[in-house]
Amino acid sequence: MRKGETTEDKGIGWDADMEVGSSDLQNQEEMGSSEEQLKTLSVEGGAHGNLTTVEEKPHKSCSYEPQETNAGETLMSSSQAPQEMKTEQPSVHTVTFEGGFCRGSQILSPVPQKYKLEAKAENDPQNNVLVVGDGEWTNGPGEAESEETLIIQNSAAVMEKSGGTTASQNDLLEDMKRVPVSFNNEPEEEEVNLITQNCRYEETQVISAPCPQINIPEEAEVTRVPVSRSSGPKVSDMEGILPQDLAENLNETRDNSSDRDLSDSASTDNTLEDSSEFTQRPLMGRDSLSPESSLVTASAHRDDDVTAEEWRAHHKHIFVLSEAGKPIYSRYGNEEALSSTMGVMMALVSFVQTGNNCIRSIYSDDRKVVFVQQGPLVLVSVSRTLQSEQQLRRELMYVYYQIISMLTQASISRIFERKKNYDLRRLLAGSEKILDSLLDLLERDPGFLLGAVQCLSLPASLRDSLSTILQKAITTNLVFSILVARSQLVTIVQEKAVIEDCRLDPADLHLLLNLIGASSAFQAGEIWTPICLPRFNPDGYFYAYISYLDPECTVCLILLSTDKESFYAVSDCKKRAEESMRTQGSLQVLTDGLQRDSYSVAMVGVPDLWHFMYKPMDIPDNYRQLTQFTSPETEGPYAREEERQRLFDLYRYLHSRLHSTSRPLRLIYHMAEKETLLAWVTSKFELYTSFSPLVTKAGAISLVTKLLHWLKKEEDRLFIRYPPKYSNTPGPSKSSKASRTSDRTDTARGENGFFLGL
Amino acid sequence: MLKKPDVKVVLLGDMNVGKTSLLHRYVEKKFHETVSTVGGAFYLKQWGPHSISIWDTAGREQFHGLGSMYCRGAAAVIFVYDVSNFQSLVELEDRFLALTDTASTDCIFAIVGNKVDLTDECASVNETEGEKPCHATTGSTAKVRKQVHVEDAVSLYKRVLKYKMLDEKEAPPAEKMCFETSAKSGFSVDFLFESVFDTVVPLLKKKANGPSETVDLTDSNKAMKGTRSGCCK
Repeated sequence: MRKGETTEDKGIGWDADMEVGSSDLQNQEEMGSSEEQLKTLSVEGGAHGNLTTVEEKPHKSCSYEPQETNAGETLMSSSQAPQEMKTEQPSVHTVTFEGGFCRGSQILSPVPQKYKLEAKAENDPQNNVLVVGDGEWTNGPGEAESEETLIIQNSAAVMEKSGGTTASQNDLLEDMKRVPVSFNNEPEEEEVNLITQNCRYEETQVISAPCPQINIPEEAEVTRVPVSRSSGPKVSDMEGILPQDLAENLNETRDNSSDRDLSDSASTDNTLEDSSEFTQRPLMGRDSLSPESSLVTASAHRDDDVTAEEWRAHHKHIFVLSEAGKPIYSRYGNEEALSSTMGVMMALVSFVQTGNNCIRSIYSDDRKVVFVQQGPLVLVSVSRTLQSEQQLRRELMYVYYQIISMLTQASISRIFERKKNYDLRRLLAGSEKILDSLLDLLERDPGFLLGAVQCLSLPASLRDSLSTILQKAITTNLVFSILVARSQLVTIVQEKAVIEDCRLDPADLHLLLNLIGASSAFQAGEIWTPICLPRFNPDGYFYAYISYLDPECTVCLILLSTDKESFYAVSDCKKRAEESMRTQGSLQVLTDGLQRDSYSVAMVGVPDLWHFMYKPMDIPDNYRQLTQFTSPETEGPYAREEERQRLFDLYRYLHSRLHSTSRPLRLIYHMAEKETLLAWVTSKFELYTSFSPLVTKAGAISLVTKLLHWLKKEEDRLFIRYPPKYSNTPGPSKSSKASRTSDRTDTARGENGFFLGL
Repeated sequence: MLKKPDVKVVLLGDMNVGKTSLLHRYVEKKFHETVSTVGGAFYLKQWGPHSISIWDTAGREQFHGLGSMYCRGAAAVIFVYDVSNFQSLVELEDRFLALTDTASTDCIFAIVGNKVDLTDECASVNETEGEKPCHATTGSTAKVRKQVHVEDAVSLYKRVLKYKMLDEKEAPPAEKMCFETSAKSGFSVDFLFESVFDTVVPLLKKKANGPSETVDLTDSNKAMKGTRSGCCK
C-alpha cells in the first residue's frame, strides 16, 4: 500500500470518481508491514495539510466518514475543506458520464485538451448541452426529453442508512462522488458530470489543476467544489490547511462563473424546476419528489404499482434491457409497466454512445445509477446503498453472467443480430426467480463480494476420501465433479487434460449454486440441463447432471460433462460415487456434520473477536485453484438479520475502500457504531475482522495476529489445500485412465465441438 | 455397460402447465409448489419387470432447443396443456410437436389437460371413467372459465397422428389417450400414467421380438436419419 494514499484517501473520495486515480502516484511508496502501515496512517494523517491534498480537493468529494476514526488522528483532513467552504450549496447532484472529455451545459468537466465548446452552453437557451467526446450534444427542443433525463431531482432528502451511517455521513459520501466540475448556484439543481471512460488525461488534469481559477479556461464553466454541509470535527484543520484566500478564490471563481453562465443555467434550472416533465422522469433519485411530480409519474403508469412509493423506496433496483430499449428484467415491478423507464435508460446510454463514449454512472443526492453494457444487453443498477460504483458494477456483471449461464453469450448476440428488437423475455421466461434469488444472494453472501467460494469446514481426511471417490467415478467427457453441501463447497475434481490452463471461476460456481438453489425441481429425480459457465467459456454449454445424495437435499453432486448425450453414463458415475460414499460411511459423516453450524468464532479463542472473513491467496497451486474464503457463523451480536446485514454493509464499505481504484488501501482500522473493524489486505490474504468496540488499534493488530495463527493451524480443515484432479500421468496403474483421458480430450475438442465455441 | 431403462416417456408442454407437478403427484403422491424446471429432470419408475424413465422437460422457450434431445427415442410422449389457457394447447402443436421428430417411430401420444380443479365446470371426462372430478377442490378458489374442452384435445390428437403419419386405426384411440387431470387434487393423475404405461409396455414386448433389441439407440438413430434425410431432400 502506498503511504501517501492512505491519508489522502480519506480526503479524496474513494468512490468519487472511479476513474480518477494515479494522481497521487508521486507520493506512493511501498509499505512494509501492516503495523508500519498503521503508524503511517496516524502519522501521515496529521501531516496532511500539504498542498497536494488541497489541490486535489476540487475533484473529490470527500467521502470520509466521520466515524472512521483513524486513531483519532486526522484522517479527515484537507479534502474536506472545500466542502466546508461551500456550504451554501446544499444539494448538488452530479451525473457522471465518462468520455474523453466531458462537458455539459451545466456541468463542465475541466477537460482541458479538447475543450473547445465552451460557448455552446451559453448559446443554447435550454442550456441542455451535454458534450461527450468530440461532439457535443445539443439538446434542442427536440431532444429535450433525453436531456431532462439526465437530471435528477432530489430534494436533498438524505435517507438514513440502516448501516448505521448517519445522515450527515451519507451526505459526505454523496458529496464526495461529485466531480468538481460543475457549478451551480441553485440549491435544487443537480449537476451532470460526464466522466469519460478513457479520460486519464482528464483526471490528471483535474488533479493538477486543483483550483478552478488556475486551469480552467475562461469560457469553461467553472468547476465547482463539492459542498458538504456537514462539518466534521476536522473543519478547523482544514481551514488551517487551506489558506483562507485560496478558499476565497475558490468561492469567487465559482461565483464568477456562475454569474457568467447565470442566464443559461438559471433559465434551465427554472425550467426544470417548474416543469413537470422534469420531475416525471421515471429514472431515479425520486424518493423525495415533490407531490406534483409524483402525480405526474403516477399518471404515466397509473395502474401500476411501479409508481407506488414503495416501489421507489427499494434500496436497489436492477434493470436489464436490450439495446433496442426492450425491457428484459426488472427486480421490482412489471417490466411492461417499466418500458418507458427503460426507454429513458436506453436513451441515456445511446445519447452518450453517439459521442463514442460510454455512460458509466450517474450520481444523485442519495442514489447511484450504474450502467453496464455487455454486448446487446444493458444492465442498470439504481441503488441507495453505500456500495461503491465498482461493487455495483460487479453485481451487474453477476446478473449478466447469470443470464449468460442460461443462454450463452453467443446465442444472445446471434439472436439480437438477427432481430434487434427481439423480446428476450421469451427466452428468459421462468428464469426471473433465478435472477431474483441471485440478487438476494448478492445482498448477503460475502462470496460474491470477495469473489471466492466458501468451503465446508471438514477434516482434511474426509475431504480427501470424498475427492478420491469422485476421482474414480468418472466417464468420458466428464469435466468437473463438484460436491456441495448447504451451498458450501465440499470438494471439486476437475479434468486436468481438458482444462489444463483453465479453472473453474468462483463466479461460475456461485452462479451454478444459485441456479440449483433457485430450482425446487432439483429436489427430486436427477436433473440434466445445459448450463454455460460464463467465466470459463461464455459461448459454450456444459451439460450439468445434478442430484441430491440425501433425503434432506443438503448434499448435492454436480457433474459437468461436455457431451449432451451422456446422461446415462454420467448418471452411472453418480451411482458409483454414491455407492462408495455409503460403503465408506463418508456420506453419513458428512450429513452428520451438517447438522451443526459450520463453526463458531468462539472456536478461534480470540476474545473480543466477533466475526471475520478471511480469503487466503497463497494456497498452493493457486493458479488453477478456486479462490476460497472462510467465515464463521454470524452469531452473538450478529445473530439477528438486521445486524448481520449491517455487518455485511460495513464489510462492503471496507472492501470498497481497500479496493478503490483510485486510492487503494491496505489496512483500515474503522470504528463503527457498535464495533471496531480491521480490514487488511496483503499479497497473501485478505482479511476483514470485527471486534468489540473497545479494542484499540494496537489491540486489534495483536488479535488479528492470533487469528492468523489459528487460521494457519486450521487451514487444512477450512480450505481445499491441495485440489484433487484427475490424473493423466502415464503410469502402470493409471494407463487405462490416461488413455481414456486423452480420448476424452479429443472428443471434447472434436466431435462435440465444445471448444469450437459451440 | 450400464443398463438403460426399457422405456422412455417424455412430458412436453408449455411453461407453467403443470408437467412437474403432475410428475410429483404421481411419484410422490403429493402436490407442492414448484418453480420453473431447468433443462430436464429424470425419474425412474419400476413398472413390473420394466424400468420406465420419465423425462420432465422444461417448458420454457429457453430450453426449446433441447426438447429434441430429451425426446430422442421416446416411446411415449405426453403432451400437457392447461385447460384454463387455450394458448397452451396451441403451443403444443406449434412448438412441441416438431420436437417429437426424434422420438421413436411408433411412439404413442397422450394429450393431457391439467388444472381442471381451476375450472368452473366439471370436466367432461370420458364416460368409461365415470368419475366426477372437481370435488376435491370445490370452493377452494375462484373458478375460471374452462377454455379448452376434451374435443379440442381429441382433434389435436388426430392432427398429431396425421403429422406423424401414423394410421389412426393402428394407433390407440383418441378417447383413450386424451385425459383431463388435476395435479393439485390428484384427480386422474395415476390413471393417466398407468394408462400410458399399459399402452407402451405391450408395444415394447412386440418390439423385443422384432429385429431391434432396445428401444433407445437403434430407433433413435433411425429416427434421426429419417429426419435428416427428409430435411435435406
